[in-house]
Amino acid sequence: MKPASFVYHAPATAAETVATLTELGEEGRVLAGGQSLVPLMNFRLAQPAHLVDINRVEELDYVRADDGSLAIGARARQAALERSSEARSLAPLLVEAAKWVAHPPIRHRGTVCGSIAHADPAAELPAAMLAQGGEVVIAGGAGERRVPFASLFLGPFSTALQPGELLKEARAERWPDDTGHAFVEVARRHGDFAVAGAAALVHMDGPVIARVALALFGVAATPVRVGEAERLLQGSSGSEDEIREAAEVAVRDLTPSSDIHGSGRYRIQVARSCIRRALREALTSARRHNG
Amino acid sequence: MATEVTEARTRKWVGKSIRRVEDPRFLLGRGGYVDDLTLPGMLHAAVLRSPHAHAIIKSVDVTAARQAPGVAAVVTGAEAAELCNPMPDFGPAPDKHVWRCLAADRVRYVGEGMAVVVADSRYSAEDARDLIEVDYEPLPAVVDPEEAVESGSPLVHEALGSNVAYERTFTFGDVDRDFAEAEVVVRDRLRWHRSGAQPLETVGALASYDAGTGMLDIHCNSLTFTHFLFMLAGTLKIPSNKLNIQPHSAGGSFGSKFWAVKVAAVAGMLAKNLGRPVKLVEDRVDNMSNSDHHGSDRIYDIELAAMRDGTLRTFRLKVVDDYGAYIQFGTGTHGNSLAQVVGPYRIGSVQYQVQAVLTNKCQQGAYRGFGSEVTNWMLERMVDLVAGELGMDRVDIRRRNFIAPDQFPYFIPTGNMYDSGNYEPVLDRALEMIDWGYWQGEKERLRREEGRYVGIGITSAQERSVFSATEFWFWFDEPSAKVTSSPESVTLSVDATGSVTATLYSNAFWGNSAETMVAQLVAEELDVEPTSVSVVYSGSNRSLPATGPGGSRFTVMVAGAVNGASARIKEKARRVAGHLLEADVADLEWADGGFRVKGTPERSKGLAEIAAWCHLFKHSLPDDIESGLEADKVYDHPYTTMPSDDRSNLGVFYPFVGHACHIPVVEVDVDTGQVTFLRYVAVHDAGTMVNPRSLDGQIIGGTAQGLGTTLLEEYVYDKEGQLLTSSYMDYLIPTAMEVPDLEIDHKVTPSPFTVHGIKGAGEGGRMMAPAAVCSAIDDALSEFGVRCRELPVTPARLLTLIDEGRARQSPHL
Amino acid sequence: MNELHPVAVTVNGTPYERHVEARRLLVDFLREDLGLVGTHIGCEHGVCGTCTVLMDGESIRSCITFAVQANGHELMTVEGLAADGRMHPLQEAFWEQQGLQCGYCTPGMLLRAKELLAENPDPTREEVREAVASNLCRCTGYQFILDAVLEAAKVIRHEAAASVEPARVAQEV
Repeated sequence: MKPASFVYHAPATAAETVATLTELGEEGRVLAGGQSLVPLMNFRLAQPAHLVDINRVEELDYVRADDGSLAIGARARQAALERSSEARSLAPLLVEAAKWVAHPPIRHRGTVCGSIAHADPAAELPAAMLAQGGEVVIAGGAGERRVPFASLFLGPFSTALQPGELLKEARAERWPDDTGHAFVEVARRHGDFAVAGAAALVHMDGPVIARVALALFGVAATPVRVGEAERLLQGSSGSEDEIREAAEVAVRDLTPSSDIHGSGRYRIQVARSCIRRALREALTSARRHNG
Repeated sequence: MATEVTEARTRKWVGKSIRRVEDPRFLLGRGGYVDDLTLPGMLHAAVLRSPHAHAIIKSVDVTAARQAPGVAAVVTGAEAAELCNPMPDFGPAPDKHVWRCLAADRVRYVGEGMAVVVADSRYSAEDARDLIEVDYEPLPAVVDPEEAVESGSPLVHEALGSNVAYERTFTFGDVDRDFAEAEVVVRDRLRWHRSGAQPLETVGALASYDAGTGMLDIHCNSLTFTHFLFMLAGTLKIPSNKLNIQPHSAGGSFGSKFWAVKVAAVAGMLAKNLGRPVKLVEDRVDNMSNSDHHGSDRIYDIELAAMRDGTLRTFRLKVVDDYGAYIQFGTGTHGNSLAQVVGPYRIGSVQYQVQAVLTNKCQQGAYRGFGSEVTNWMLERMVDLVAGELGMDRVDIRRRNFIAPDQFPYFIPTGNMYDSGNYEPVLDRALEMIDWGYWQGEKERLRREEGRYVGIGITSAQERSVFSATEFWFWFDEPSAKVTSSPESVTLSVDATGSVTATLYSNAFWGNSAETMVAQLVAEELDVEPTSVSVVYSGSNRSLPATGPGGSRFTVMVAGAVNGASARIKEKARRVAGHLLEADVADLEWADGGFRVKGTPERSKGLAEIAAWCHLFKHSLPDDIESGLEADKVYDHPYTTMPSDDRSNLGVFYPFVGHACHIPVVEVDVDTGQVTFLRYVAVHDAGTMVNPRSLDGQIIGGTAQGLGTTLLEEYVYDKEGQLLTSSYMDYLIPTAMEVPDLEIDHKVTPSPFTVHGIKGAGEGGRMMAPAAVCSAIDDALSEFGVRCRELPVTPARLLTLIDEGRARQSPHL
Repeated sequence: MNELHPVAVTVNGTPYERHVEARRLLVDFLREDLGLVGTHIGCEHGVCGTCTVLMDGESIRSCITFAVQANGHELMTVEGLAADGRMHPLQEAFWEQQGLQCGYCTPGMLLRAKELLAENPDPTREEVREAVASNLCRCTGYQFILDAVLEAAKVIRHEAAASVEPARVAQEV
């Protein structure tokens, strides 16, 4: 299973990368970690005419605090996110999610931005970002633009990224330090893509939920924020009954597809279970922060 | 039929867990796998596979492909049909389902190869492959085996006139009487979906043809039954004595490299016709879709009859087995089933209706158990069902029905023999290790106090070993070839310094510690250090008849061959020693690696000294002693009997039967259907063990594959015959996180018929795990009345069973 | 399209320079261009880990890495484990514990284990289990692999302790 030929570009700077991509337009694809792209190329399911390898672009390799957000550059490895003390303090949900991405050897090469751009509906990081909130910085011929995560994911393996553009940076919004977080996934084996999963953030105001974010993955064409469930929980005490009701509301309108790993119905059952567990864990951790 | 057996107390090397003699090369990255080999001028091949489950090949345009850079040749299936004869096929009526190495006019499963490109690199070959234009006329696909037998179904092979390749009902014993006398009958339908070996190394071959000598050399990692190689030569249209298969260590097989000769055939055809060496190595998609080695794919309808006291009397079953588009081994996998169809129980009669159905899928081949693992699962599921019906404990019902130790050798209703056995100690040891009683209380406590669903399962079942060739033809009253040979051979050579070389003639190494087995066995016989024995492999053109691994046969058979060859060596050495010591051969005894005069042990000659004389000093020895010290032994199956004419008795064909008991404790997450292991006990009795650690490795590895088959692995075809599991993303092999540590113990009930009393044990783990795990899942979910009837028990299937159970409990909600 | 690109790598301490197509996979580069056949091909889609090598000390899957991406980097393959004719403690431990049967996954497994022990010299059995879950083995069922890695960990820790000043070693004893 050998890939088809392509023209190889290895720019050294972000500017060079963007210029090359702009010029190539639809013919060019970014090679970051390659952990998703190269298998597709080996199957010849993807046959890009040009690959723009960003692995030499040192300036895009960072995970750092920036203006209140956690900024992750296009070349930052998933393993770097996992190890980052800044990430642990600014957005621990993302660190938790990173641990569920495949296996460490994949995370040594796979990039955070690459996972976001690849937009697999069963992937962990897009959903975690969706829950966390924030935006991506997209660089193209006309300059840079910002797209919130909430409008980034358009369909399976499809984002607002246009041909010739680079997803240059992911900016995760910071939640208050006493936010509780949880990341729950059900997969067939350790390290597999999710059958279904939930990422939750809960911030309490005393005994009451002041703010909550709940994102699901593996259950729709994209990761989804379940706004109705969030609204139900907001202002509530987060009791077991309220959690169960929120989970029901969250899955009510889902129509996950069926595949060999589970029917749509099965995915809904699993999603329900993941949501309950994620909310319970996030609430427990939020309450712990609050003493 | 008994053979000389060394007393256990005198064994020096058999029974020792020495570290393996073959490991250094693997540890150093010098494994010598077939893809590691290069030859000057070597070309690379890539096979074009069918995207359709069933289609007519209307035309194949290779013009652009032939002109692509680096391409040496493109051969279509139609062209291959001129260059080669059909593949060797041991199935029924091969002329009615003609199997070729590349499909010529019709493709019959997704993945079937129908053209091949040969180029200067695999990359170029695949580039050219993409340029081949095929005009297919898709035909309706035959996918469901029960629909395949209905009238009006499309046919996989027109010439056969049906999709039933074979059907017969066998009745052993008085089934009707036993049903009439029984007090309770349970019925069920069970479904075992196909999974497969999926070794990490695929099948590969590197062929080179010498036009000067006419010799076709094929380096290959498949087992090749040297005595059947003339059939492969026939396929390749070369004289049978001009084919030389050179064995290479296989990176795993588990059955799937058991006569996996299609790759060798394609490579050989290409090398012979191009005049350059050609390497063809399956990629993973080839191995998943076009391997000719999918596992059993069965639907059982069974009724089992028993007495109210739990005595099992008889059963009738119909099994529909979906063989895919071809049936290369006939219904041999059901021979494996019939070898131990009554399990370890005194069931007196059996009716077995087998229907082998053809569909548009990859054909079946071999996967660890070769069909008997499915039978074990089926029978144990029924025993659990009867136990439930009678309100009997699962342990008690098994113990009650065990064949007793004084009943061996025991002939089961089908005619096969269980050579020896002592089942209660195996059961008792397993129960003791897991603390069966503790878990009865503990699982209740966990449910009550923590809301957890924990269950304990049990299976007690057989692992037959060392097949006879009869199981491939006793299906027919008038078989075309009543082959009865299934030998293994070895040559032992002692050089002038006394160093021993053991030459093997089959592709013996699959990861099964073959060389360590040989080294320990030779060491035992000749009293040398195992690490001093050089184990080499011969190409088939200088070969004695040999079969190789499969059916857990290798260690038993090579032990017989080593024993025979070393006996011949010692016989000659004794004569030479007698001459050198001026003593009568009757006054000599073998001790400490040489011969000594009984009563005066200081008068002795070691094997090395004897060997030096044999090699160097011909004229100092009696006239009739030839130079050298070397002996062959062709060891035929030591206990085979013929089937009766009416096939009411199949004869003895798989007589060395081990036994095991597996007891897992599992926990089920009733919200997600996921199953985790809390403990797993396995007690095995495979007779005398050569290297206990190595045997444990086989048990663990086999159990891991059994867990995979039970919970994770399935080749899934959709309604159109598309293979949905054609990569490792979808075909789920257990990782270290899915396999628990096993707690293993052994009992030893030697075989009376094999050298050292060894029984084969390579397959046992996989033959036990499925039933044991299903038993545990049922137990964990007993309050929902869950019964696992279909493998794999995926989380989704299990959640459905739980939901159905909940609905039964509260039908009005 | 078929332009050749330079690949200058150090593998097991030896520098190499070749020119290859950009699409050439690192595993093929190692096996065919450099003749280092110890790294094996299992799936060619990054799932099984059979092709694992270390790049700058980190385990990567060479079947989904292009050789050109290794340009300028340091690699270790299984051939680099043994030194001066002596097997690495991991190789010895795998041998002692029978942590292999067919040997095909072994090179990748050894390197992954080496990485694990460099990061975590005293892992629990469950930590080893989770770490090697990245690499499939079809033969062993993993149990003896875990035994081998834990045994190697002990040996490596002792060797590290022994290379410290004698006084401290004496105290431990």
